[in-house]
Amino acid sequence: MTALRNIAIVGFAQLPIVARDEHRMATEMLYPAIRRALADCGVERDDIDYQIAGSTDYMDGRPFGFVAALDVMGSWPARQDLHLEMDAAFCAYYAWVRMQAGECDTALVAAHGKLSEGEPNRVLNLQLDPYYHAAIGLDAASTAALQASAYMARTGTTDRRLAEIAARNRTAGARNSDAQVRAPASADELQHTPWLVEPLRSGYVPPVGETATCLILAAEGKAEKFCDRPVWIHGVDHRTEMQTLGARDLSRSASTQLAAQKAFAMADLARAGDVDVVELSAATPAEELILCDALGLDTHADRPVINPSGGPLCGNPIMMTGGIRLGETFRQLAGRAVGREVHGAARGIAHATQGHCLQHNIVWVVGSERRWS
Amino acid sequence: MSEPPKDPVKYVDSAVYLPYNYVAGDYKARYLAALKDKRIIGSKCSKTAKVFVPPLVCSPESFAPCDTFVDVADRGVVTTFCIVNIPVIGRDLEIPYVAASVALDGAAISIFALIQECKPADVRMGMRVEAVWKPDGERQGDHEDIQYFRPTGEPDAPQASYINRL
Repeated sequence: MTALRNIAIVGFAQLPIVARDEHRMATEMLYPAIRRALADCGVERDDIDYQIAGSTDYMDGRPFGFVAALDVMGSWPARQDLHLEMDAAFCAYYAWVRMQAGECDTALVAAHGKLSEGEPNRVLNLQLDPYYHAAIGLDAASTAALQASAYMARTGTTDRRLAEIAARNRTAGARNSDAQVRAPASADELQHTPWLVEPLRSGYVPPVGETATCLILAAEGKAEKFCDRPVWIHGVDHRTEMQTLGARDLSRSASTQLAAQKAFAMADLARAGDVDVVELSAATPAEELILCDALGLDTHADRPVINPSGGPLCGNPIMMTGGIRLGETFRQLAGRAVGREVHGAARGIAHATQGHCLQHNIVWVVGSERRWS
Repeated sequence: MSEPPKDPVKYVDSAVYLPYNYVAGDYKARYLAALKDKRIIGSKCSKTAKVFVPPLVCSPESFAPCDTFVDVADRGVVTTFCIVNIPVIGRDLEIPYVAASVALDGAAISIFALIQECKPADVRMGMRVEAVWKPDGERQGDHEDIQYFRPTGEPDAPQASYINRL
């Protein structure tokens, strides 16, 4: 692997995820998140070269709604800026690419969206093919259930196993002050929650939640000044699959598998099991199992610890969920995951996804040490 | 397959229904509530002391928080304007009409407003104008509470007084 620039995550801030913030618009929630992330690094907005934000106008209900965020991002004097209709973890990738190209040394990666103001299920239905999928009323819960069903049929995974995975996330989420669902729940309790879309129970899917997030990235030379424990990016790759659900093997995530293979090669990581902590954008226990299969992780092992934050099951703000995974991995390695520390964590994997049934996946490998000398 | 189908193709009806339920936000809510009392409020930048109307949580220019609310006048100066000769969707306005930027006294930026009670040709940059409110009891706490602005008859403001608030 050719040596690349050492680039680190040096700051992360989010507001606690809530069902609905009655007092603030999306941009008014974003402003304090950006201020906190910059304050964490001890820098001002002028110290940041590049800014990028992730959100979706369909959730905002406003065409070009994303431009409103510019007013709370410190966009003056005139800045280099980019907006993606993608999760923050993909925005971070674009910032990383710009930094690898040598066009900037520091970047602010924001994400925002008031999911409670619209109806996410209606919006996610429109993400599907309009003729055969959207028209029959499929939404994110039903496509996730199709995927769960496919996985269970291929592997013999039981309802009980899904309940156990959900319970592990819920137990972890109780220790995360930024989580939306903070009440722990046992597998027995979750296995008795009603079917939402069989084989998914209401206890296996997250509620609608909203927040705002901001990551700060910096290249070697500046990263050490911004953060006493920068978390270095060792490898990253993202891959996507077809839109047509019927054309895919929904019981597997081929795109996660390939992205992981490429990211691990960049990171010189032999296997996923060698890291200490993994944060997955798994919105259901079945997604977690599919992702673990794709990454080559043993879901029964003690290490790495999977979703010590509680994962998306305890808070799934669309467009921010993946960025939070990256932020949580940063917090673990930087010693900032108060109350939910994975002791001795030195390497981690963060994953984010977009689209129905894990269509598009990004895999990050990060570590406490610089990747390239 | 070389010829298009002769029978009519039945299209998929994909009418999109997306309801939204917005939060005004405390800043906007406070601004709108003040309109009901014939008051216009802005927020002051903690770094530059510039006042933004309607109030903003932070200065888009300095990035500093705007954490104090201040009253501004319901009168000001026309900075820039245009004469509209096309009907506007959703409003019953006689054309031509004047849409203007009005910098209220005490505000660092201008708001958009209609100028009425004068001929469009008489509107000019620097012209002093005042708000015409809906009568007491009819104001709802929304933007329609100010019906329009009209000339005050005062002498025009010197250009230097508004050139930075265009």
